[in-house]
Amino acid sequence: MRARSAGAPKFLNLSQIRFPIGAIASIGHRLSGVLLMVSLPLLALALDRSLRSEPEFAALRDLVSAPWRALLLVILVWAAAHHLFAGVRHLLADIGVGSRLAQARTSAWAVIVAAGIIALAAALRWLS
Amino acid sequence: MRLFLGQRAWVLQRVTALVLLILLALGAATLLTGPSLSYGSWHALATSTHGAVLIVVFFAALCLHGWIGVRDIVLDYIHAPALRLPLLALVAVILFAIFIRVVLTMAAHFAGGG
Amino acid sequence: MRVSIYRFNPETDTKPRMQDYDVAPEAGDKKLLDVLMRLKTMDDSLSFRRSCREGVCGSDAMNINGRNGLACLTSLQGMKEPVVLRPLPGFPVIRDLIVDMTQFFAHYHSIKPYLINNEALPERERVQSPAEREKLNGLYECILCACCSAFCPSFWWNPDKFIGPAGLLQAYRFISDSRDTATAERLAYLDDVYRLYRCRTIMNCTEVCPKGLSPSHAIERIRLALVRESS
Ligand code: SF4
Ligand code: SF4
Ligand code: FES
Repeated sequence: MRARSAGAPKFLNLSQIRFPIGAIASIGHRLSGVLLMVSLPLLALALDRSLRSEPEFAALRDLVSAPWRALLLVILVWAAAHHLFAGVRHLLADIGVGSRLAQARTSAWAVIVAAGIIALAAALRWLS
Repeated sequence: MRLFLGQRAWVLQRVTALVLLILLALGAATLLTGPSLSYGSWHALATSTHGAVLIVVFFAALCLHGWIGVRDIVLDYIHAPALRLPLLALVAVILFAIFIRVVLTMAAHFAGGG
Repeated sequence: MRVSIYRFNPETDTKPRMQDYDVAPEAGDKKLLDVLMRLKTMDDSLSFRRSCREGVCGSDAMNINGRNGLACLTSLQGMKEPVVLRPLPGFPVIRDLIVDMTQFFAHYHSIKPYLINNEALPERERVQSPAEREKLNGLYECILCACCSAFCPSFWWNPDKFIGPAGLLQAYRFISDSRDTATAERLAYLDDVYRLYRCRTIMNCTEVCPKGLSPSHAIERIRLALVRESS
């Protein structure tokens, strides 16, 4: 449809919009999904390596000895945890569990905090 | 013919999510209750008939779930058809290749490992 | 109090700017709209829509300190200053805080927001039981202010194809109506990646609805109805 406002400005500066906690959990869900997708080839590769021989299996266990790889792994652990928790939250909401606003706010917080704690635990274990 | 389906993708996304959840829980339970994983025990587990089947199912669900997720992101943010269709095709090919790679891996070890 | 307002005049401006106003609210000023009216007397070039000033007409929806709401229902008490007012996000701006709602209403019309019933007309009326009537609560109260759709990321990305929370809430209002016989057609129309399935249950819609309605819940029920329909 041709509106009289074709070519009109739009206000859509995301930094000037206050996002509710559910939106932040949701952006995290998307971001973590992308990270996991990007690392999927590595997972397939790791599966292959882990089955090849004893030394290659051991090499996978030693991945975290290099700090940059440990850091990547911590990020992936966060991504997996956040995506999983946020996913369970959505699955439950789909069947009407916790889909009320107050509960949804609490569960969004819970997802963000729980994923953070797990990432922190991984960081403490591999990065120190 | 409709290029993108509505409900079908939505249901598939949830079904694959459930499959992944169940398999992850199964994997976690095996890891937590069994002895710590060594090359020998992992190899035996992964190349047993149900181990191999479950690994293939896991990756199939992962690839399908990822496909729907990527497709949603593309539908949201990328609107130029000249960009959108090649991108979707590329992602589909990559995901399919990854899945084939996993099947080949499992087939090789399944035959080799007995 | 300091109010910072998004200004755009299509006749003189090439791009929008923010303008600061200092205004002293008077004793009777309780809501943000009262202050806006006061500003209008200071600067009559300032444009915004309003009518009922009591949350019924749905015309003064805007982005208030980063969240969508109705100026007439927003209390001055405890407002963070400066109060930043911008037009509804993602909607084409006609002038200042006035946005073009054409597309929003086109989506509303697309879901056929009226009763469809091809059965023979009854003598007097189509009777509804109290339980059936009860199902429309939380749906019929919508004032079409667009606070929800203009806060929905999915609607920002696909405003031309995604019906958006307001339209979907109304779709569900007619799906739920015991007197409506077009339920199957309504559901079939919604079974589409764009129209319905762009929603990712972010719940931004429910967060900002000034009438306390829950479009995300209506969407959840539509999806479940579609699952039931196809199984
Ligand atoms: S659902 Fe609420 S926010 Fe959305 S248009 Fe209706 S009244 Fe406004
Ligand atoms: S729940 Fe759906 S309709 Fe509501 S804001 Fe989120 S994506 Fe939009
Ligand atoms: S002026 Fe009518 S809803 Fe605010």
